[in-house]
Formats: sequence, C-alpha cells, structure tokens
Amino acid sequence: MLCAAVSVLPWKGCEIVRARSTIAAKRRREGYTFILPGFAYMLIILGYPLIYNIILSFKNVNVKTFASGTSVFVGFQNYIELFQNETFRLVLKNTFVFTIFCLLFQFTIGFIFALFFSQKFTLAGPIRGMVLVGYMMPMSVTALLGKNMFDVSSGVINDLLMKLHLINAPVEWLLGGGTAMAAVIAVNCWVGIPFNMLLLTSGLTGISQELYESASVDGATWGQRFRYITLPLMKPAIMSVLMLGFIYTFKAFDLMFIMTSGGPLNATDVLGTYSYTLSFKQYEFSRGSATAMVLFCCLFVIGLFYLRLISKEEE
Amino acid sequence: MEKTAAKATFASSKEKRKNYINGAIAILIAVIFLFPIYWLVAMSFKSDAESFGKIVTYYPHEFTLKPWIENFSDAEFVKSLKNSMIIALLSMTLSMTFGVPAAYGMGRYKVPGSKGFLLTFLVTQMLPASLMLTPMYLIFNKLNLLGTYLGPALAISSGSIPFIVVTLRPYFKSVPTALDDAARIDGCGVFRSFFKIMIPAIKTGIITVVVISFLNGWNDLAYSMTFNVKPEMRPLTANIYKFQSKWGTKWNCIMAYGTILVLPVILLFVFLQKYIVGGLTAGAVKE
Repeated sequence: MLCAAVSVLPWKGCEIVRARSTIAAKRRREGYTFILPGFAYMLIILGYPLIYNIILSFKNVNVKTFASGTSVFVGFQNYIELFQNETFRLVLKNTFVFTIFCLLFQFTIGFIFALFFSQKFTLAGPIRGMVLVGYMMPMSVTALLGKNMFDVSSGVINDLLMKLHLINAPVEWLLGGGTAMAAVIAVNCWVGIPFNMLLLTSGLTGISQELYESASVDGATWGQRFRYITLPLMKPAIMSVLMLGFIYTFKAFDLMFIMTSGGPLNATDVLGTYSYTLSFKQYEFSRGSATAMVLFCCLFVIGLFYLRLISKEEE
Repeated sequence: MEKTAAKATFASSKEKRKNYINGAIAILIAVIFLFPIYWLVAMSFKSDAESFGKIVTYYPHEFTLKPWIENFSDAEFVKSLKNSMIIALLSMTLSMTFGVPAAYGMGRYKVPGSKGFLLTFLVTQMLPASLMLTPMYLIFNKLNLLGTYLGPALAISSGSIPFIVVTLRPYFKSVPTALDDAARIDGCGVFRSFFKIMIPAIKTGIITVVVISFLNGWNDLAYSMTFNVKPEMRPLTANIYKFQSKWGTKWNCIMAYGTILVLPVILLFVFLQKYIVGGLTAGAVKE
C-alpha cells in the first residue's frame, strides 16, 4: 500500500519514506516485545545453568565445599578421573550400546510400520493413532510396567515365552547384566517404534502417488520403486528421524531410574542416571556435572548435524 | 462389455481381500502394542494373591476394586495426585505465557536476529533434564526454590517453551495478514489483535500446545524428584519409589497407581488425538 503511494505521489516520497522507516521501527519494537520475554526466560532458566554447569565441571564442588564456599578450580581433574574410572567407562559404553540397538530396532520396525500404514485400508488411520498412546505415557509408568512384565516369576513375558515354547525355564531378565539391558531396550522400543512410525509416515505422505504409478507402468518392481523412489525422497525425513532418535535415546533417564535403578551392578547405568547418582547420592556435584558435560558433548555433535539439516530445509 | 464388468468385480474383490488382510495385520499390531496398557489396567483390578501369584492370569479372575480404594484412601497418595495437578498446571501456564507470544513474534515479525532466536529455541529443545539437574539444583538452593512447586515448574517450562515456539510459529505464519490488518484499521491495538484475532485463528495449534505442555509437567520425574526432597511436595511420578516400597509385592496396588497416572494421558489422547498427533509431527520434523 505504501509503495503504491510513493509511486503515485513522487513529491511526497521523502516524507513517506521517513514515515515508513518509523513504521518499520515500530514494528520491530512490537516484534521484540513478543519475542524477548520468552527468549529471556530461556537465557535465564536454561542458559545460565548450562554455563554454570561448565564451570562446575572444572571445580571441586561437593556437599562440603559447597556449604563452606571453599571450592576451587581443578582444571580437567574431574574429566581425567572419570575416564580413568572403570564404572564410568562401562556407563559410557552402556549408553552407546543402548542407543545404537534402540535406534536399529525402532527405526527399522518403525519404517516397516510406516510403509504398511501408508497403504489405503479402512483401519489404517485409527490403528496408527492408537499405537501412539505408548509414546504419550509418562516414561516412569512405562518403566514400572516393564519391571512388572519382565519379573522372573509373576512376569507375563516369561509366561508368554514359556507358553510359546521359546524358553524352557523362566529367564531372570532383570537380574543378569545382558538380559537387563535387552529388557530395557525392548521397553524403550515399545515407545520408540510408534514415534519413528509417526515421523516417517509424514515423510511418506509427501511423496506423490503418481511417481509410483508411472514407475509401475514402466515395469518397476516393488523393490525398485522402494530403492529408487521411496528412499531418495525420504532421505531428509530419515536423517532427521535418526538424529532426533539419537538425541532422545542417548539422554535416557526415567526408564533406567525406575525399571532397574541402573543395575544389576551398573549393567544398565547410562550417563544420565550415573550423573544423577554422583550428584545426588554421593553429593559429588562437580563430578556429576562433568558426566553431564560428556553427555552434552555427544548430543552437541549430533545436534549440529540436525541443525544444519533443519536450516537447509528452512530456506 | 460383460467381460469388463467381470474384470471390475474381480479387481474390487481383490481390493476387498487386500483390505481384510491389511486390517488383520493392523489389528495384530494394535494388540501387541496395546497389550502392555491392557496389562497395566487388568493388573489393577486383581486381588492381592492373584497379582503376585506364581500362576500368571490374563484377566482378573477375582475382579476387585480394592487396589484403587487402597490408593485413594491413602492420604499421601491424594496429596501426590494434587501435587501432580499443581505442577502440571503451573508449568503449563508458565510455558503458554512465555511461549505463545514468542511464537507469534517469530512467525509474524521480521526482526534482526530472528534466525538466532529460532536457533536458540531449536537447540534448547534438545537439552536433556539430566544435564540441567546439578546446576539448577545448586542455583535453586541459593534462591530458596528447593521444596517449592515453582522450582520444578520453572525447569519443566524451559522444555515446553521451545516446543511451543517451534510448533506454533508456522501456524501464526499461515494466518493471512489481511486479518490483522483489518483489525488494526478497526482500531484494534497490537495486543488486542493478538488475543482477539490471532489466538482464535489458530485454535487447533493452541489446543495442541496446551495439551503437550500440560503432559510435559504431568509426566516429569527428574526435576520434581530432584528439587523436591520432601515426599509431601512430590508429584505421583516422583513418589513411585516410595509407594513401591510401601506396597511391597502388591503389584495390583502399584499398577492401580500407574493406571491413575496414565488416565489423564489416555483421556486427552482419546478426545484430542488429532491435535496431539499433528502437533508431535510439526514439532519434531519440519514439513
């Protein structure tokens, strides 16, 4: 509207340009009025503790030095001690094992489900939605449920496996290291599969049906259509699902905390739960912070890739 | 002519058969995925002996409401339930107050630095609670925020606000400019047009973020457990351990506890499914 005015009344252009710049300034002010409170909230509530955490990880803050205010900087000592510690190395390994196996299963099965539910049939919509309820549940209840279902004697998993003659004797799921990890992964996949399915479905619906039809006319098999149409067009969705999956799985906390307490003998302890133990059971705040920083650095690397991907799509 | 008609019925019966087979597979998937939830609810109606007996029963043979009654007649349980409500509502209110205007500002205004703002919200969405626990605990300790409802609510909202911004920004962007231009010409101020025009225009998106930010508070374990050491300030999630040792092997009571925690989620899910599903997709992946 203003542009039109400028061209129709050239002699008034100067004034209008000035008016326009004050309008622009006013709009900027309005924009900031809306954005800044939320932004400031994030800086104060999240940004400040994040920086404080970095500082903590280079000091020797524990329950004694915190109370007396006598903590000092110790450089990389916390990090060195952590990496020399066998338990920490086990915890780091556990976190990666848990994440990689979860990603593998939940992505593959989630993708198969997404392909299956993208077909047109009567029940596709309602059931796809129903399956998602597991994702919305509090993780603490899911973990509680896992603890019950994987119980040795009263657990339903053992009972089912025995009835199907897959095992002869009850498995002591949560009492052995490897089996406890398997149980935790299984429970996490129950939550992760529907989530992967949901995100991949939204990617699949974006692919035009005509592409498949013309490929069929040209005699392409199902495998070829998947290989040359679905996969390439789904690549952005697949990448972001994998990266988000990594971020969500790597930071696991509630599941292990309730289902196994990180046990038996740290077999299901991950960076999140181990950091909690150091800070709030042993009151070694600085070591807890350093552990959390290791968690953060791993997420940060993946997060950078994710952000690059997102900002590419944003343009 | 007759031949093509026969062909058509053949094709449609083939379609029909495919529909049935796919339907059967879908039902099987649903049964497997919903079984744990069925199990949770079924356990909560079993008698004590049945719930920890050596013989696993697949439905309550002696149906009883006792586990539910035992939970609700426990004063500590009722208090925890109330705490869950307070923390969820408080964090929801905080998140909406800061998140919705920010989403509006970023969706409707071109301001210098907007890319940086968006990046900040995207990054903060990825920060896990376990990373923030230690520094927040020490900071809240100095600010006397430990043992309050505000402590966990402040922390939970820092996760919900980025979600709201990322989810609602495209909604605000999609509202035609003519709508608020018209309001401005009618003499509506900026804030009036925000509340009277924009918010109602994106009702769907608003419902989504209200539900999700409520559930973020309701589902929280880490923050509430760490910042509120006293059990009487803790929500249901954070008191699970306490009740587990209280009920011992009475799995029926523990599962009734779990069912009560899941109930609001299921109710919201049943009634508002399309909003939740849409919101989750929009928030997680750029379309």
